[in-house]
Amino acid sequence: MTMTPSQTAEQATATKNDWTLLKESFKHFLSSKLNRFSFGLTMCLLLLIVIAPFVATYPYDEINPALGLSPPSWEHPMGTDQAGRDVFSRVIYGARTSLSIGLVTVLFGLLTGVTIGAVSGYLGGWVDEIIMRIVEIFMSIPGIIMALALVSVLGPSLPSIVLALSIRRITQFARVARGSVLSVKSQDYVTACHAIGMSNLRIIFVHILPNCIGPIIVLASVLLGNVILTESTLSFLGMGIQEPTPSWGTMIAKGNEYLTFAPWISVFPGLFLFLTMIAFNLLGDGLRDHLDPRGGSAV
Amino acid sequence: MLTTVILRRLLLSVPTILGVATLAFLLGHMSPGDPAIAAMGLDLDGESMIDPDELARVREELGLNKPLIVQYLQWLGRALQGNFGTSYVSSTAVSEMVFEALPTTMLLLILTMSTAIVSGMALGIVSAVFRGRSMDYVARMIAIIGVSTPTFWFALVLMLTFSFAIPIFPMNGPVSEHGLIAMALPTLAIALHPAALIARMTRSSMLEVLSQDMIRTATAKGLGKWRVFMVHGLRNAINPVVTVIGFQFANLMGGAVAVEFIFSLPGLGSLLIEGIYEKDILLIQGAVLVIGIAFALSNLIVDLLYVVIDPRIRV
Repeated sequence: MTMTPSQTAEQATATKNDWTLLKESFKHFLSSKLNRFSFGLTMCLLLLIVIAPFVATYPYDEINPALGLSPPSWEHPMGTDQAGRDVFSRVIYGARTSLSIGLVTVLFGLLTGVTIGAVSGYLGGWVDEIIMRIVEIFMSIPGIIMALALVSVLGPSLPSIVLALSIRRITQFARVARGSVLSVKSQDYVTACHAIGMSNLRIIFVHILPNCIGPIIVLASVLLGNVILTESTLSFLGMGIQEPTPSWGTMIAKGNEYLTFAPWISVFPGLFLFLTMIAFNLLGDGLRDHLDPRGGSAV
Repeated sequence: MLTTVILRRLLLSVPTILGVATLAFLLGHMSPGDPAIAAMGLDLDGESMIDPDELARVREELGLNKPLIVQYLQWLGRALQGNFGTSYVSSTAVSEMVFEALPTTMLLLILTMSTAIVSGMALGIVSAVFRGRSMDYVARMIAIIGVSTPTFWFALVLMLTFSFAIPIFPMNGPVSEHGLIAMALPTLAIALHPAALIARMTRSSMLEVLSQDMIRTATAKGLGKWRVFMVHGLRNAINPVVTVIGFQFANLMGGAVAVEFIFSLPGLGSLLIEGIYEKDILLIQGAVLVIGIAFALSNLIVDLLYVVIDPRIRV
């Protein structure tokens, strides 16, 4: 790998501090119209986690059987479901569910995976060999199938869903982190750290990892969309979030039963899911061009 | 030479397959509930009514009182011979259920893969050749939409549009009932995502190759435009595309699970979901194992393809 922006950044710290550089880099990132769009959309979606109760016009579990299956109207812009619950409000609360599960899963996967991958790549030898074999085994089972099997064994509770979704992300982060660590570990500044007698842990976490952050951020943004998609597939198949907690996948599954005469129940959550995926994929593309111009196949 | 490469690569996939088998075994071991009670056809609720002698006998019979490692080796030995046990729920041999479902899934995957490769590469080539023109923007937009569309939702939308609103295709049901047309919508639903990924990779790889000197040389010596693109460009751009195609198996299988379920196709995906709903752990184990092995084999094929299409690689 050639110089990444963060590496050049390190050499420039003599003249500019990190904060200014970060600000400049961010400004440059936002100079593209497409990046502004995807960044804005992502921020709006993330904001929904906090402000969902203020955006939603009804409580997500308010049942009104008299209004069951009514089509979109002014009071219910996305119609109501079989129990007369407002689809719009449920979609908004569903964003909260899906995005927070996505964030927690990716964060957990990132912390665990990057640690495993960095240690594996740094130490090399048989430790690396064994860890990478295990990673490869986990990668041989399609993510959704692994998640389905795990949730069915552990039961569909929130922690087991997050765990089931994380396992694959851990292996993906481990791979990317390992690759980046391998590419920087033989550089002079790492040798210098050895020479002054630093501990391995300090070298990995303080000196090597900050220089590998580009590909990791790119992967995180792509995986966020990925996790949300897997979670909604799990929920759709009945092995994810359970009613009455609103989740896009569960809503689409429920709406499936009424698809032919009340398509709005599953079409709108699907549209939101699609919009979320667009936002994260575009953001991932933009970040990749910006931070990691050479690395193309992170996933 | 080639045989050595194939043999080495085959040996390398042995630990992976063993690992997948171990994972499948542990999955069964982790599951709550006593397999002996399940084998007796009783639910966990009825535990108090179970005759302890009878339970001990069934345990003995199933080998559940042996150490874990012995159970594992016995299970592995049987699994490698294609014996995944008898389902407690349906009292049918799991291997029989799995091999009955396999053709449907394989047909679906082959159809999907070929659709995705043909349309994805075509889209990518068009995008690269007309770089920066409106054709390119349209192709790239299709690709980003394709990457972002949730497979199971797309399947529902297709079903709503093309079997309900405009009834061209059957709503659901197996090939044996409707013929090959039953596969049309499921194939389209699963193929969209991999096709978009292939298109993106083809485009970027083609663009990289098209900027090289040899392309200018080929054009300069008077070769036709499309000959330059297809023979000189694509031939050299194909490697990363093959890699992406190779990665698609997991993607396709994941898509197949939901889509088979939606269109009621009796494949491995439907079987797995059935196993999960019925808490049929042996069935889950068998399905996971077969899917894992299939994935390892597909990786193997991709690696061998590399050797065939690119003589420079001799791993």
